[in-house]
Amino acid sequence: MPEIKVTPLGAGQDVGRSCILVSIGGKNIMLDCGMHMGYNDDRRFPDFSYITQNGRLTEFLDCVIISHFHLDHCGALPYMSEMVGYDGPIYMTHPTKAICPILLEDFRKITVDKKGETNFFTSQMIKDCMKKVIPLNLHQTVQVDDELEIKAYYAGHVLGAAMVHIKVGSESVVYTGDYNMTPDRHLGAAWIDKCRPDILISESTYATTIRDSKRCRERDFLKKVHESIERGGKVLIPVFALGRAQELCILLETFWERMNLKAPIYFSTGLTEKANHYYKLFITWTNQKIRKTFVQRNMFEFKHIKAFDRSYADNPGPMVVFATPGMLHAGQSLQIFKKWAGNEKNMVIMPGYCVQGTIGHKILNGQRKLEMEGRATVRKLSFTFTLTFFLLCNLDVKLQVEYMSFSAHADAKGIMQLIRMAEPRNMLLVHGEAVKMEFLKGKIEQEFSINCYMPANGETTTVTTNPSVPVDISLNLLKREMALGGPLPDPKKPRTMHGTLIMKENSLKLVSSEQALKELGLNEHQLRFTCRVQLQDPHSDPDTLHRIYTHLKSVLKGYTIQHLPDGTVMVESIVIKVSSSAEDPNTKVLLLSWSYQVTFLRC
Amino acid sequence: MEEDLDNILDDWFIESIKIYKDLHVYQLENPTQVLEWTSGRNVCVAGYTSSSKNEILELHLPLKLLADKNKGLCAERDFKVVHGGFADGPVRRLRHIPGTRCAVTNDGHSSSLQVWDLGGDDSDVIRRTGSVEGGRTGSVRGSRIAARPSSQPQVLHGAQSDDVRLTEITSGRTVYKLEVDSSDALSSLQFVTDSIVVAGCCKGSILVADIRSPAAPQVCCPPASSAESVLWWTDASASSSRLIRLSSCGQAVVSELRMLGGGAVCQAQLDIQMRGSDSEDVVVSWAPALDDCIAVSGFSGAVQIYNTSLWKSDLQETTPLFQHRGHMVSSQQPDGVLTTAHAWHPERPRTLLSAASDGSVHVWDWVNQSAAESGSADPPT
Repeated sequence: MPEIKVTPLGAGQDVGRSCILVSIGGKNIMLDCGMHMGYNDDRRFPDFSYITQNGRLTEFLDCVIISHFHLDHCGALPYMSEMVGYDGPIYMTHPTKAICPILLEDFRKITVDKKGETNFFTSQMIKDCMKKVIPLNLHQTVQVDDELEIKAYYAGHVLGAAMVHIKVGSESVVYTGDYNMTPDRHLGAAWIDKCRPDILISESTYATTIRDSKRCRERDFLKKVHESIERGGKVLIPVFALGRAQELCILLETFWERMNLKAPIYFSTGLTEKANHYYKLFITWTNQKIRKTFVQRNMFEFKHIKAFDRSYADNPGPMVVFATPGMLHAGQSLQIFKKWAGNEKNMVIMPGYCVQGTIGHKILNGQRKLEMEGRATVRKLSFTFTLTFFLLCNLDVKLQVEYMSFSAHADAKGIMQLIRMAEPRNMLLVHGEAVKMEFLKGKIEQEFSINCYMPANGETTTVTTNPSVPVDISLNLLKREMALGGPLPDPKKPRTMHGTLIMKENSLKLVSSEQALKELGLNEHQLRFTCRVQLQDPHSDPDTLHRIYTHLKSVLKGYTIQHLPDGTVMVESIVIKVSSSAEDPNTKVLLLSWSYQVTFLRC
Repeated sequence: MEEDLDNILDDWFIESIKIYKDLHVYQLENPTQVLEWTSGRNVCVAGYTSSSKNEILELHLPLKLLADKNKGLCAERDFKVVHGGFADGPVRRLRHIPGTRCAVTNDGHSSSLQVWDLGGDDSDVIRRTGSVEGGRTGSVRGSRIAARPSSQPQVLHGAQSDDVRLTEITSGRTVYKLEVDSSDALSSLQFVTDSIVVAGCCKGSILVADIRSPAAPQVCCPPASSAESVLWWTDASASSSRLIRLSSCGQAVVSELRMLGGGAVCQAQLDIQMRGSDSEDVVVSWAPALDDCIAVSGFSGAVQIYNTSLWKSDLQETTPLFQHRGHMVSSQQPDGVLTTAHAWHPERPRTLLSAASDGSVHVWDWVNQSAAESGSADPPT
């Protein structure tokens, strides 16, 4: 039976990274290639030894597909393609292709420059890897080769995130990546048509949660900002140029307007330029509201929000500043942080995950004393000489640290909605503990009457598919079979029919043998078998024949038996002739002859 | 129109910044009439649709709400479904048996109870393990259920006053039966101590019995002002020995449990209106950790908190100390949504859970505005 194999790479209960192998119709596809952010050694990379013990992966994989730019989905891509070795196509959406290299380079810098790691990919490797990328448009079928085709669907979640439909022949698989079913302020909700894949593959991480509303998260954000401003504190919000920054700006702007607040809000100019640039490129990936806003005015033109200048950080009084980069690992946001960290009236709000090694990561883990590199100009000795010390100083973190998660993910209800939309024949959830997922499995199986698989990392699930292979049947053949009578065709009662199956390119058709021969330009050949049976009979040849005829007529009832004038007996289409042996007239030789198509008679 | 709804929501949300310390809003696939604590961190909800299978879910409260120190460093705001199971009919009542992983449910139109194992660490499935037969069959209202506080798994149940029994769950043996002549529909059943039970009747009378004694229960008549068609709901507080009775006209009467015959301690006319004939959803409850405060839900889409220490002995109008309007404000049909249940957190003084007919479940920790503004003390916690 045809089958599809799915293996999530990784070990044990690891949930930090996505890298799934799918074998379908003889093709091997890698879905995502994420880095595990919790490890500092080789465990952070997916274990490619499952594919091959050593050597390059190119001949073992038909393609690699990346769902979105988060590092736990693409962080190991340059390692896989340049250090392990893969030269085949890598597919991802246009926004993902634009944003991925930026995040990868940032990540590389932090890991190598700050933490001094050695077994890591280089900047050049990131560039070489991205050269292998083929960008995808939404809802556009792409032929990877003449048998494998893929199509991207909108997933919401982050700019450019896609769910992907993979088809080989009549078997198909849909991989969701990360997605959400409720739209937020700048992205729409995931959508897919009733494509009825054999397997729908999704993460189980959020399948057993019920998500707090987006409004409550926003409320918490506004509450914290407001509380700080009211007590005269300064609020720093380190952001990545895309994604939440724009949303949070809209929120604050609305709030400031409603509450008639006067404290200044700033964002660094680098942020505006980058964000505007990306949104312009990828406007079709945002939701209706943003598109309308973008068309009406420059997205970052706000009444209450102004461009930041570094000197403002020293201004007295409350203020809110949006600055990059998002993990406080360098640049403007880190500079501002250093200035404001010592005052407990101030606040830093981290709106997303921070990679290990960054200041962001440290303070989110509760660290209140940080070692910072600093420069201090100690004494001006003369016009030309200034004594400057490079110091490692301790920074006391007295300001309030708030971790807020705004990322859009589907939950238990969302998964059910997606299954209703796509109508898969089987469900497969990765990255979950089977014992904690029994209820969800039961729920899916019960509501949709489909199997729900939950492989552990490193474990292969084999799903038997029942592909229907469509075959055209010629009208003549159909008429002939109908003319034979008997019951109408019934899928539960197969019946034998004679015809010829012709495979031309990707289509199949069933025609009568004569038509097949005509199409192929071949002459019909008939096979006739003969055999000789000897028996002793003293009668004359015609008498012996007659006796045979009478005998057969009595034992083979229901069959057509004829005694023909040319001295032969025919049983259906079997011909029987009698002749005497030359040496002995009592020895009769029966010549039996039949054509290839004769059905067997029981005597 | 949608723009208008969004604006109203924004207004309430912005207002909510001042009036709530914490606020979480969830949407279940189906509405629940059950909000039952199984621990200080876990709560059960269950569906009550008449068709097919209804889910029973045990939810773990969001970590952010529970975190006291380092609250800011915790970003986790979601419910986690820790256990789940399916019931064949509607689940109108659910009681957790203290000290066990056992729960008992009733479908709201028969007297039998279903017994469930809520599951441990090795499985996330809630399984039906048996049933407990009720008294008479064909009861229209369904049984009320109370779990005995001690560790013996016993459950007090019944739909009518002459049909209340205490059953041992494992053996099914009836340990005690309430000896009463009249048959009145019950609106509540509870243990105030391990051996004293209080049954509240829909017509307003109260029965207090000691299950260790075969003597008939003490009967307390309905409040004097009660009329024929008026329905009453009751809650007894073990810690303060007080009883509250609330009528469908909005009259609330507080009595001393030990001196029921002595008349009301105080009363008030609450700011509520009975909507529709469905009285199944009304709940009145004493706050476990906030003296003299009660919560009322089921009359509309709001949950109201009242401070009974401000009430007088004569019937006067009173206004709520706090009103949670979240369900009404975030519903697609603000006039159509009705709160179906509420539950105070057992330890946190101002934290409540509330559920509504549109499937929403809110968790909120409200700020006592008047105390905050006047600088005066809260009702002692």
